Amino acid sequence: MTRRLLSSALALALGAAGAAAQTDVRIDVSGGGRRVPVHCEALAAAGDRSPKVPSALADEVLASDLDQSAVFVITRAWRGDQPFDVQAIVGGRWTVRGNEVTLIGEVRDFPARRPILSKEYRAPLAGWREIVHQFADDVVLQFTGEPGIARTRIAFVVREGRNKELHVMDADGANPHPLTADRSLALSPSWSPDGSLLLFTSYRGGGGPRVWVIAASGGKPYLVSGRPGNNTSASYSPDGREIALTLSADGNSEIYVLDARGGSPRRLTDNRAIDTSPSWSPTGREIAFTSDRGGTPQVYVMERDGGNVRRLTYEVNYTDSPAWSPQGDRIAFVARTGSGFDIYVCRADGSDARLVVGGGSNENPHWSPDGRHLVFASNRDGGFGLYVTDLDNRAPRTLDTGGRLAMSPAWSPRPAGLETAQVSTPNHSNSGGKP
Amino acid sequence: MKVAPRYLVAVLAVAVIAAFAAGCAKKAKEAPPVPPPAPPVVQQDTTPTPVPTPTPVTPPAPQVTSSDLQPAFFDFDSYALRDDARAALDRDAKLLRDNAGVAITIEGHCDERGTVEYNQALGERRAQAARDYLVAAGIATARIQTVSYGKERPFADGHDESAWAQNRRAHFVVR
Repeated sequence: MTRRLLSSALALALGAAGAAAQTDVRIDVSGGGRRVPVHCEALAAAGDRSPKVPSALADEVLASDLDQSAVFVITRAWRGDQPFDVQAIVGGRWTVRGNEVTLIGEVRDFPARRPILSKEYRAPLAGWREIVHQFADDVVLQFTGEPGIARTRIAFVVREGRNKELHVMDADGANPHPLTADRSLALSPSWSPDGSLLLFTSYRGGGGPRVWVIAASGGKPYLVSGRPGNNTSASYSPDGREIALTLSADGNSEIYVLDARGGSPRRLTDNRAIDTSPSWSPTGREIAFTSDRGGTPQVYVMERDGGNVRRLTYEVNYTDSPAWSPQGDRIAFVARTGSGFDIYVCRADGSDARLVVGGGSNENPHWSPDGRHLVFASNRDGGFGLYVTDLDNRAPRTLDTGGRLAMSPAWSPRPAGLETAQVSTPNHSNSGGKP
Repeated sequence: MKVAPRYLVAVLAVAVIAAFAAGCAKKAKEAPPVPPPAPPVVQQDTTPTPVPTPTPVTPPAPQVTSSDLQPAFFDFDSYALRDDARAALDRDAKLLRDNAGVAITIEGHCDERGTVEYNQALGERRAQAARDYLVAAGIATARIQTVSYGKERPFADGHDESAWAQNRRAHFVVR
C-alpha cells in the first residue's frame, strides 16, 4: 500500500507562528503518562458528489487511530462532543476525485486554533486507509517526537478445525486475510525487522514442526530449518542477520542461533532441561528465554553467546513467553495461574514485576513497535481471540477477527523508511499557507 | 500458407489425445479398483481390445494397528513415566517384539495449559520417554520415530482435569 501512494507526504507551509506553536504543544507522554485530550472534527468533504469512500469513514478511522495510539483521549464533534478542555483540534479536508483521494490533515491548538500541523496526502482511492493512518502517525509524531503505529500490521494464527493457518491484518483489524492454506499446523509467527518476511513453525509437508519463512505479502513458504526433532519458536535478530530458535536435533530442546538462511547453527544453551522461546533484546546483545532447569518453566536472560545466564525474576513463579520491549527497558511475560496465564511486565533487570492483564488465560504477549501496547491472545470472553492492552488502567480492547478463533499474535515493525520520514520539521515554503 | 493451420490442428489433436490418455492413466493409478466397463451392446466385427485394468491388490491386513498399542499417560508438566504408563508400555513392547515388522511413530501430546512453544518441547520429552522405555525393553531404535504435537491436537476437548489427563500422553501410530 505504502508504495502505491502517489505522493507520500507533502508538508504544507505553516509559517513561523506554526513552527513556534509546534514546540509549545510538544508534551512528554512517554512512560504511560496522561493522555492528551484532542478533539476530532469531521473532515470537510469535497470533490465527487457521491464518493466511493465518504469522508465519514475517514473520520472514524482517524479518530480510532488516535484513540488507539494511547497518546490521546478523543472526543468526536460528529457525535455531539464539545471541545472541553482539549489541547488540540484535529480535522482537515477530504477530497475524492475519481480514483484518487486527497487528505489535507490539520492540527490546531485550542482555543486559539493556531495551526500546528498541516499536511497533504494523496493516494489511489483503494489506498485511502493508508493516508488516514499516515496522518494519524504524523499527529502522534507531532506530540511525542515519535511516529505512531497506525500503519503496522499483526500476524496471527487462526484455528480451523484441527488445523491452524497463518493470517495477517492491519493493526486496527482491517484487511484480514490468510497467508497459508496448508491444512496443517502453523504456529508462532515472527516478523523480520524490515517487515517483509514472517518466520513461523509449521507441520506442513508432514513430519514434525519445522521453521519456514513466508513473504508478508503472501506466496510460497520456504524451509529455513528442518533438522530432526523440534524446530520451533524462531525469531530474527534485530539486525535481521541471524535467527534464534529452538532445536532438539541433539535430543533435547536447546536454543540455537542460525544465520538468516538457516545455516551455521551455533548452540547457546547446553543442559538437560527444556530451553525454548528465545526473545532478542533490541540491541541483539541479550536473549530472554524459557527454561525448566529450575524444576518449573521460568524466564531467564543470557548474553548472545550463551553466557551470563540469570533468572529474570523471583517475584513471580512459573513464567514463560518472554517478549523484550522494542525500547529495551522492559520484558513482558506470562505467569501461570490455576488453569491459564496472566501477563506481567517487569524492567529488563527483572525488578518491578507488575500484573498488566488478568482474567481468563492471557498468552503470547507481543509489543507494538512503539512499546505503548501489547497484543495478546486470550479466552477472557470465551473462545480464544486477540486483544490489545495499552498498559494503563483501560480494559484491553478486542481486535475483531471475524469470529475466528485466533491466537499467537505478532506485531509488525513500522513500514520500512518511516523512521526517517520527513514530517517532523515542516517545510517552510510559502505555498498554500493558511491564515 | 494453408498447410500451417491444418498442421497446427493435427498437433493440437495429438496433444489433446495425449493429455486425455495421460489423465486416464493417472486416474487409473490413483483409484485402482475401477469397475470394468459395461460390455458394448452392439458387437463389432473386429474383436474389441480389452481395456487393461490393474489387478486389484488387497494389502495384507497389518498384524498390529495403532489402536492395539496403548498410550502412556503423564502428570501435569511432567514427562516421568508413572506406574500405569510403564504397565502400558510393557504391553506395547511385547506386542512390538511379537510383530517385528511393525514400525511406529510416537506422538507426544500435552494438555492445553502451558504455552504453545513450551508444550512442543514437553510433548517431545514425553515421546522420548516412551521411546527410551521401549528401546530398553528390546525394541530397535530404527523402528521408532517421535514427533511432538504439543497442545495442538487434543484427544478430549474439555477444559477440566478429566480432559487434560486424556491429553497428556505418548500416543502410538503404526507406520
